[in-house]
Amino acid sequence: MTDGARERLAEAQSELLTALLAGGPSPTGFDERLLRVEARSLLAKRRGVVAVLAPDAVDELADRFRPLFDEYALSHPRTSGSRAREDAAAFTDWARARGALPPVKPKRWWRRNQA
Amino acid sequence: MGAVDRLGVGIGWRAEIDLTVERLPDVDFVEVVAENLHVEHLPESIVLLRERGVPVLPHAVSLSLGSADPVDAHRVEHLGAVAEALGAPLVSDHVCFVRAGGLDSGHLMPVPRTRDALDVLVANVRTAQANLPVPLALENIAALLEWPDGELTEGQFLAELVERTDCFLLIDVANLHANARNLGTDPNRFLDEIPLERLAYVHVAGGVETDGVYHDTHAHAVHPEVLDLLGELRSRVDPPGVLLERDDNYPSDSELAAEMAAIRAVLAGHG
Repeated sequence: MTDGARERLAEAQSELLTALLAGGPSPTGFDERLLRVEARSLLAKRRGVVAVLAPDAVDELADRFRPLFDEYALSHPRTSGSRAREDAAAFTDWARARGALPPVKPKRWWRRNQA
Repeated sequence: MGAVDRLGVGIGWRAEIDLTVERLPDVDFVEVVAENLHVEHLPESIVLLRERGVPVLPHAVSLSLGSADPVDAHRVEHLGAVAEALGAPLVSDHVCFVRAGGLDSGHLMPVPRTRDALDVLVANVRTAQANLPVPLALENIAALLEWPDGELTEGQFLAELVERTDCFLLIDVANLHANARNLGTDPNRFLDEIPLERLAYVHVAGGVETDGVYHDTHAHAVHPEVLDLLGELRSRVDPPGVLLERDDNYPSDSELAAEMAAIRAVLAGHG
């Protein structure tokens, strides 16, 4: 492998994912329209996965689910190695912390550590 | 360089359609998403299909072999373990990346078609191959965007990948259609450029077009243009296998059977 190929690729890939997932600046040379299409598509897929894993939150939030999730997603891009269930849990915690979802019901008495 | 044994016409096994897959007529082989399987607890339906002698091929989505990040040994190890548990003749993943800079895209992303990216991909593929018990096939993806400054066409990129790693190809004709529709790539040129003798099998899937963008959803019916591309491929080579992928919004058994029959008809039409 040529010297620096991995480093140059790492930088380019990181720049692209930051733009698509975390609202970072558009990398040079990409079609702006296609960047928006891709960002929307990735967000829709992630939202769909969380909707399946957190149906109660989706019911509770109804029309507010989509805008709330999209706001959460932009400020909390998925990190390498994270799991979809963790994403769903992090979203509901986030929505709860903002008062968009009711507080967690007390769990069974023997489970001392509440999430 | 060997060839892949004949697989026939198959369907992607998913837990939601396990009974459907078991009772559909003429399922010659199935594919499972490797990340969804635990070697110690294989689904009963998969065990049943194996007992019937139906080949079950693990298909991975998370190796991220196009990533600048080093190959994740645990993911490769898991894929290999699944292949051994299933007695699979080969495994597959995609020419793509999903992780970079500590972020996870959650979906298959295209790699730049540059020498740098090809060198990294080749190194990663060799690492994976060295740690897998069976051959690896790599699939072309549906991309919604294109990197600037590409030095090779997609076909040239895959051809060189095969030459340098001896991997097999898994060609998804729905992805070819998606790229033609969304990015203006030429599927015929793609088919001309890839080494068809290294074709392991073919994917066929449905999608939907919204606002002028074709989305490779695997949740809608197979478009006629996709079957036309299968015919185009069939006019050049007799593929060892063709597999229908359906991942959501599952239709009736008869609709899935009809889509498999349509695939068989295309293959036979060029016999």
